[in-house]
Amino acid sequence: MDIEDKRDISREYFSRERLAEHHFRSFNAFLGRGMQEVVDEKATIETDIGDKEGEEPVYVELGDVRVVTPRVREADGSEELLYPQEARLRNITYAAPVFMEMAIIKGGEEEEERVVDQTETKIGRMPIMVGSEKCNIAGFTDEELIDIGEDPADPGGYFIVNGSERVLMTSEDLAPNKILAETDTKYGDQIEVAKTFSQRRGYRALVLCERTRDGLLEVSFPSVSGSVNFVTLVRALGLESDEEIVHRVSDDPEIVKFMLENLEAAEVQTTEGAIESLGQRVASGQGKNYQLKRANYVIDRYLLPHLHEEGVDEEDVRINKAYYLCRMAEACFELALDRREADDKDHYANKRLKVSGDLMKDLFRTALNKLARDVKYQLERANMRNRQLSVSTVVRSDVLTERLEHPIATGNWVGGRSGVSQLVDRTDYMGVLSHLRRLRSPLSRSQPHFEARDLHATQWGRICPSETPEGPNCGLVKNFAQAMELSQNVADEQELKQELAQMGVEGIPGIESVEQQPADD
Amino acid sequence: MAATTQTCPECSGRLQADDCETVCAECGLVVEEHNIDPGPEWRSFADDETNPERTGAPLTRSRHDRGLSTEIGRSTRLKGRKRRRMARLRRQHKRTQIATKAERNRVYAFNEIDNVVTALSLPEDIQERACVLFESAQDEGLLQGRSLEGFAAAAVYATCRTATVSRTLPEVIGAARASREELDVAYDAMNRELGLPTGPIHPREYLARFASKLDLSQAVERRARELAERVREEGIDNGRNPSGVAAACLYTAAMEADCDLTQAEAADVADVTPVTLRSTYYDLTE
Repeated sequence: MDIEDKRDISREYFSRERLAEHHFRSFNAFLGRGMQEVVDEKATIETDIGDKEGEEPVYVELGDVRVVTPRVREADGSEELLYPQEARLRNITYAAPVFMEMAIIKGGEEEEERVVDQTETKIGRMPIMVGSEKCNIAGFTDEELIDIGEDPADPGGYFIVNGSERVLMTSEDLAPNKILAETDTKYGDQIEVAKTFSQRRGYRALVLCERTRDGLLEVSFPSVSGSVNFVTLVRALGLESDEEIVHRVSDDPEIVKFMLENLEAAEVQTTEGAIESLGQRVASGQGKNYQLKRANYVIDRYLLPHLHEEGVDEEDVRINKAYYLCRMAEACFELALDRREADDKDHYANKRLKVSGDLMKDLFRTALNKLARDVKYQLERANMRNRQLSVSTVVRSDVLTERLEHPIATGNWVGGRSGVSQLVDRTDYMGVLSHLRRLRSPLSRSQPHFEARDLHATQWGRICPSETPEGPNCGLVKNFAQAMELSQNVADEQELKQELAQMGVEGIPGIESVEQQPADD
Repeated sequence: MAATTQTCPECSGRLQADDCETVCAECGLVVEEHNIDPGPEWRSFADDETNPERTGAPLTRSRHDRGLSTEIGRSTRLKGRKRRRMARLRRQHKRTQIATKAERNRVYAFNEIDNVVTALSLPEDIQERACVLFESAQDEGLLQGRSLEGFAAAAVYATCRTATVSRTLPEVIGAARASREELDVAYDAMNRELGLPTGPIHPREYLARFASKLDLSQAVERRARELAERVREEGIDNGRNPSGVAAACLYTAAMEADCDLTQAEAADVADVTPVTLRSTYYDLTE
C-alpha cells in the first residue's frame, strides 16, 4: 500500500460518520433490539390482587416496545417534531415517546384467563442521541441541516437534556464471564485465586475460587457469607463421584494429587448430603424443608448466573456450573504449580467497553422495573377502590421519563456510579471530537494503581498512547486511536454457537447439544 | 426585591436576569447581583459520597405536606439488627405522616390529579392549581358523598378551563379513573359552591391540539384561528359545543386550502358527531 492509499484510509476514518461511530452503533443496537430484550426479560408484572379469598388474580403482560422520533408537547397540547437546535435553544429535552403493548389479564384459578384491557400505551419518553437512527436529522443532507439550524460538521453522538448537551462516557470494565487467575496473600501466606464476574441481565455476581494455604479449595459467591468447600459445592451441583470430580478438574498427575487431598477432606459424599450441608449454611436455624428449598434457590439464582440460558433445563445448567467450577479449580492449581502465569488485568483482551447503548440499557432496565412497581401499585389501588382496570390509567409515563432523564442530566447512573454523563466540551471543534472518543476507567483516581495507569502493549492501535490528562486522572482517562474499531456483542448467541460448532468447535464431552463454555484463555 | 419588579428603576427598561445578576437591557444598570444560587455545588468528586446539593426541594402545593416531609433514607452499610430497626422506624414514620382521614383522602386525590395531569401532558403549574382547587373543595366540605376520583378529575378540568388551556370532557375522562357522572357531579358542586371563574370556552383553545392530531399545516391552523375569531364575533358558536366548533373551523380552513380531510376525521378528534361539525360548517360557509 503506497502513501496515497494510506492517506485515503486515514481520511475516511476522520469523516463525520466515523468519529462518533461507536456511539451510533451502540445506541442504534439498543433502540433496535436492546429495549425489546429488556422488556422480554421482564415479560409480566405480577400483582398481589387475588391473594384474598374469592378474588381472581390479575397480572399485566408486556408486549412489543416501540420508539418514534423526538417530539415536543406544547402547553396547548399540540405535538410537533423536535429538532436538536430547537431543543438546545428552548432548554428542553430531545426525547422521543416510547410506546408499549400492555394487556391486563384476569383469572386463571377458577375462571378462565381473560384479557380485561389491551392497548398500546405511551410509557414515557426516551432521550435520543443526536445523529442516531431515531434522530429527526438522520439522513439529512448538508443543505437541509443548515436549513434547520444544525451544523453539518457536528459529529453528533450526544444527548440533549434540558437544553444541555451530554455525552455518555465510555467506561472500561474488566471482562465479565471470564476466569481470571491471580495470586493473593492471606494471613501472610500466598494463595491462588480464580475469579469470575458472572453477568447476566444486569445482575453481576463475583464468584471466587480460592486455594487456601493447606491446599483446600473454597468457593465464595453472593448470598452465602464466607466460603463453601469446593467439593461440597460441585457435589451439590450433581458431580457426585470422586473419580468424576478429579477427571473434570484435570488429568495432570500433580493436580490429581492436589484434588485427592481435597476429596479426603470432603465433608459429604452424596449430592443430597451436599445440598443439605449447603442449606445449613444459607439458612441456619430454619426448618429442614426450608433449608433445602433455600439451598436450591441459591444455587440456581446466585451461583454463576451467566451459565443460564433460555430453554435449557435447570439440571443441565447445574452440571455446566459444576464443570465451570472445575475449570476455575484447574486454573488455581496450575497457578500454584507454576504451569501458567497470573492473568494480566490490564491486558486489553480482559477488558470490555461499555458504550452509550450499554449504559442506556442499564438505565432502561431499572426505569422499567420502577415503572412496573408503579403499575402494580396503581392496579392494586384501583382494584381496592373497585375501579375498572384499564391500561391507560395505571401507566404514569412520568415515572419512566424521570428515571431516564435524570441520570443523563446529572451523571449519577444506576449502581452508584457518578460522572457517567458529561457536558460536551465545546471549547473548540477538536475538543468535541476528543470528548466523544474518550473512555474512562472506573478505578478510583485517589489511589495509585500504577499498573492500570501504565501504557499497555495491547493498547496498540486501539488507544492513543499520548493523549491522557495530567494529574490525578493520568492514565485512567484515555482516548481512542484514530483507526480504532469497536466490535459489538452478537445479537443471537444460539446462532453463534451453531456457527462455532460448524467450524469444528467441540463441546464438553458428556453434554451434547447444550452450551459451550466461553473460551477462557 | 428588585428582581420581581420586571422594569428598570432608572429608565423603566426591560430587565434581563441570568445566573448571577439582573441587568437592565436598555441602560445597563445592574439592578441586582450576587444572587444566592440554590443549585447544586458545581464541583463533583467521584469518590465523594455526600450529596453536593445545598438545599432541599422547593415548596409545592401539590403535596399534602407542601413537600416539607422528612424521609428516613436507606443505607447499604447498615446490616442485621440495625437495618431492621431502621426499617421499622421508616414504617412508623410513614404512618405518622398521615394523621386524619381527610389527609389520607387528600394524598389519594393529589396522586390522582398527578396521574391525570401526566396523562394529559399538562404543565406543572396546572397541577399545583388543581391541587389548590381540590383543597378548597375539601375545606368547604363538598366531598361528602361524592367520589374522590371525580373531584380530582373535575379539579383538573376546571383548572384547565380557567387557565385557557381547555381539554374536552372526554379527554379528561379518558385519562382519569372517574366516570362521566362522577366528574359532572363534582364539577357542578365546585362550580356552585366555589364560584369558578369560568366563562364559555373559546374554540381557539382547541385548535392547536386538534391541528397537530390531524397533521394539518401551520397555514391551515392560522386560517382556522381567524375563522374561530369570526365565529365568536358573529355568535355562530352560541349554544354549540366549542370543541365541535373548533373542529368545524379546522375543517373549513382545510377545505379552503384543498387539504385532504374528512368531516368524520375532524369530528373524531373533537369527540363530536359529524352532524355537530356540519351545522357550524354551513353557518361558516354561508
